[in-house]
Amino acid sequence: MSKKVTITIDGRRISAHEGEKLLWVALDSGIYIPHLCAIRGQDRPPAGCRLCFVEVGGRLGPVTACTEPIREGMVVRTRTPRVDRLVETAFRLLLSDHRLDCKNCTKNGRCELQVIARERGLGPDRDPLQPLPAKTYIDESPRTFVFDPGRCVLCGRCVWVDQQVAGVGAIGFSGRGIRRRVTTFGDSNLAESPCTECGLCVEVCPVGALFFKLPAKKTKGDS
Amino acid sequence: MQEKDLIPVLERIQKKYGYLPLQALKSVARELGVPAVQVYGAATFFKQFRLNPPGKYQIEVCMGTACYMAGGQVALDSFERRLKIGVGETTPDGEFSLERVACVGCCNLAPVAVVDNVVEKNVTPTRVDGILLSLGLSEENKENKENSNAQGK
Amino acid sequence: MRRENREREAGVMAVPSAEKFYAMLRSAAVAGLRILDEVPVIRIGTATCGIAAGALLVRDTFRDELNKRGIEARVMEVGCMGHCYAEPMVIITKPGFPSLCYNNVDEELAIHLVDDFLARGDPCYEFAMAALEPNDFFPTFQDFPRGIYEEKMILGDCGLIDPQEIDHFLARDGYLALCKALQTESNQVLQEIKKANLRGRGGAGFPAGEKWDMARKAPGEIKFVICNGDEGDPGAFMDRNILESNPHLVIEGMIICAYCVGASRGFLYIRSEYRQAVCRMERALEQAREKGLLGERILGSNFSFNLEIFTAAGAFVCGEGTALVKSMEGKMGIPEHRPPELAESGYLGKPTVLNNVKTFCYVPPIILRGARWFRDVGTPESPGTAVFALAGKISAPGLVEVPMGTTLRQLIDDVGGGVPHGKRFKAVQIGGPSGGCLPEQALDIPIDFDSLLGAGAMMGSGGIIVLDEDDCMVRIARFFLNFTQEESCGKCTFCRLGTRHMFRILDDIIRGKGEMGQLETLRRLAEDIKIGSLCNLGKTAPNPVLTTLRYFFDEYRAHISEKRCPALSCPELTVYFIEPKRCSKLCNVCIGSCPVEAIFTRDDGLKAIDQEKCVKCDNCLKACPPDYSAVIKLSPLSLLDERLGKNK
Repeated sequence: MSKKVTITIDGRRISAHEGEKLLWVALDSGIYIPHLCAIRGQDRPPAGCRLCFVEVGGRLGPVTACTEPIREGMVVRTRTPRVDRLVETAFRLLLSDHRLDCKNCTKNGRCELQVIARERGLGPDRDPLQPLPAKTYIDESPRTFVFDPGRCVLCGRCVWVDQQVAGVGAIGFSGRGIRRRVTTFGDSNLAESPCTECGLCVEVCPVGALFFKLPAKKTKGDS
Repeated sequence: MQEKDLIPVLERIQKKYGYLPLQALKSVARELGVPAVQVYGAATFFKQFRLNPPGKYQIEVCMGTACYMAGGQVALDSFERRLKIGVGETTPDGEFSLERVACVGCCNLAPVAVVDNVVEKNVTPTRVDGILLSLGLSEENKENKENSNAQGK
Repeated sequence: MRRENREREAGVMAVPSAEKFYAMLRSAAVAGLRILDEVPVIRIGTATCGIAAGALLVRDTFRDELNKRGIEARVMEVGCMGHCYAEPMVIITKPGFPSLCYNNVDEELAIHLVDDFLARGDPCYEFAMAALEPNDFFPTFQDFPRGIYEEKMILGDCGLIDPQEIDHFLARDGYLALCKALQTESNQVLQEIKKANLRGRGGAGFPAGEKWDMARKAPGEIKFVICNGDEGDPGAFMDRNILESNPHLVIEGMIICAYCVGASRGFLYIRSEYRQAVCRMERALEQAREKGLLGERILGSNFSFNLEIFTAAGAFVCGEGTALVKSMEGKMGIPEHRPPELAESGYLGKPTVLNNVKTFCYVPPIILRGARWFRDVGTPESPGTAVFALAGKISAPGLVEVPMGTTLRQLIDDVGGGVPHGKRFKAVQIGGPSGGCLPEQALDIPIDFDSLLGAGAMMGSGGIIVLDEDDCMVRIARFFLNFTQEESCGKCTFCRLGTRHMFRILDDIIRGKGEMGQLETLRRLAEDIKIGSLCNLGKTAPNPVLTTLRYFFDEYRAHISEKRCPALSCPELTVYFIEPKRCSKLCNVCIGSCPVEAIFTRDDGLKAIDQEKCVKCDNCLKACPPDYSAVIKLSPLSLLDERLGKNK
């Protein structure tokens, strides 16, 4: 194990192992940094959601905490005007592509977008960005869960657990740009894919894109 | 065959069939020992790959900066109007497919279109009609297509 | 112990043998080409641009006509000299005459040249464009305005040598730099590149020597060298031209690089759309292998290097190093966070040097002539030359090589001959989707890696598009944003969604649906995307928007508050109108030109446009005879009602 170093986050002195990624060090010390795509233990974090910006002393611009290894004497600020502005823009961009319907969403109250909004005081009101056309297709084919791409934020956690943890390989990314999406081979239903319904992907989904069917609905579907 | 050979392998398949049949993607995945969905991801990521059979005649309209400024969009509109298909589509009879390409590097001949691998220069709406006529899309055919389209609706 | 001995032996032997080996190759090449001094030689430019202009037909005509008349001559296919406006271009070298170059050659002129020049002895000066070497009869390319500025460090042989025959390259001291390098300690070769301060020509301008040094020092036995030929900027064709016209120069540069960093394998990553380039490069590799210039024990030395082509499957984002490497590994071309840099962990996790086509081209001449020679050209911070592809509203489009530090004004007005048809210059787009649009007042900025950044643009890989008064700047910004949002890999939020939103706002504006408030959103998004994106595609994507907002704000305002396109270019805000006062009863040209039968004859015999049917294709405007010039464009749309009201 590498040696322990001491860093300062928002004025708090924290000691942790050198080289550990800043995001996890902060979260473990109870300091919140917004994040969606990062997965603990990943060798090279995807750094795709662009939410975990912080400012580090000696660095010109904001950096992503998920990719930043800690070193002795590092001084970190999680809230600066520059950081707040970037996080707000990234959050609003994600929200513009997320079908907002919290009332009817099973993740209501546990959704990580809601956590970010609460922590950073961001609401859907006064949003200058027009929502993008929502994806309407919903895959209800699995016995135990539902996939709703209209709510997906493309964090990639489900793909990671499916391929790296469960070792199934039922889902992956396809397309590019605005057409990038989580999908099965040939865009088939999940029921026709190698999916084993282990449920790991549903557990890691930070939003309501993957959710377990309610027991009542399940019986209805079975009958 | 290793994972790193995926792109060349897909290129070879497309060269042979003109597109990437899903069945072939599945076999490639099996050969490489990777999830099929990963192969599908790569096949949908790169512009060069297509998952549907192309038309007998492939028309690619250049949308590089110089062509765009010189009327590339007008040329593309003309092809769309005459063939009654959009970009990335094939006519119902399988004769023509229409694509947009980024830049073929013939900026001084703008606007250009690549028709069956041959570069056509100064593609005005009149030239579009000329090109299609030479490929067998006659006025008569056009009428027929209009009719069949109308019936289809 | 024994192995060490053997290696030492081989090392000792390598010193004289590489030189001898090379001398043999070269003298054989020279001997084989002696025939070219004895018979007339007809060089035809058959790079993609030449072929598109009809060069193959010209080539066949020359062959047939020469055969018919039984004239002994060589018809040779060469690459491109960069005078795109003059394609198809033919160079005729006949003993006793200066080599003469003819422009825009068609079948008729080809026959004429065979009859008059090759069969008899009249060089047809009236059709000639320039002579290649100074003489008493005809001006040379050096006498052209662009000849004064041009300085060819890497394009010198393009268009003169046959790219498909390695002997042509060898006869011009090709691979001599490699021979010299192999007899020098590799670190010393690297130091020469460092001393030259050769900066990467892909756009970022990172010093190549430092990159190589990093890879050289990185631990590990297996290292790679990759040439980035994934030229994706719309409007740029420098790399294609070099790959097609002088492939061996690229190969030689790559081998020297590999020698410096200790790489044993390399790849040429070329766009699959560049079929001709791939084809010629394949042949070049084959010939280099045959001659012992590539593969095991190059030129008899201890050094081995294998090089192969990887055809890219089409994704602009793969111009970004980490994405390029991912695509070579069989994955989607999606960029990754840096560090680690490719020089530490690149292809298959091994140290990898990735440089642009042009960067490798500078290596052989630097090794041959020394760092001083290179640094004497250009500016202290950006030494050497730069290659630009001039296109758009410019009199002499083409490929030019000028010293770094040349100003945009010199490049456009003097080298490119200015804006044609008496139109007014409006802006120059430099650097493609990552660059910006600069106005008249920025034209005196010298072009180098650093100066343009202050103006909001960047040198990029060398695409330059000139725009005139007929081009709408909002539309140009929308064009580039459409490009980047289509080419975004989609992984990071700012690029995937941010460029999409920017595009939607710009699209609203050119359709006359924009609001002034949206401009603030646009600017804010642009600034945030620039800082927040993961890779350089995203970080530079807002540049076309930021520069047009900065220099052409009036045009944005006109589109939004007046619903008017000042350049009369946006179809949604512009109508075509036939001025009855100028129209003639006797002329029907416009009617025939209309692809949708929108033009009709009025009761009084004059023509008018049915606005419902009009698709705004510009055909009638072009077709209307200059004597009448009756077709005009009007913006905003409300002007049409005024006109119609007035004329009723």
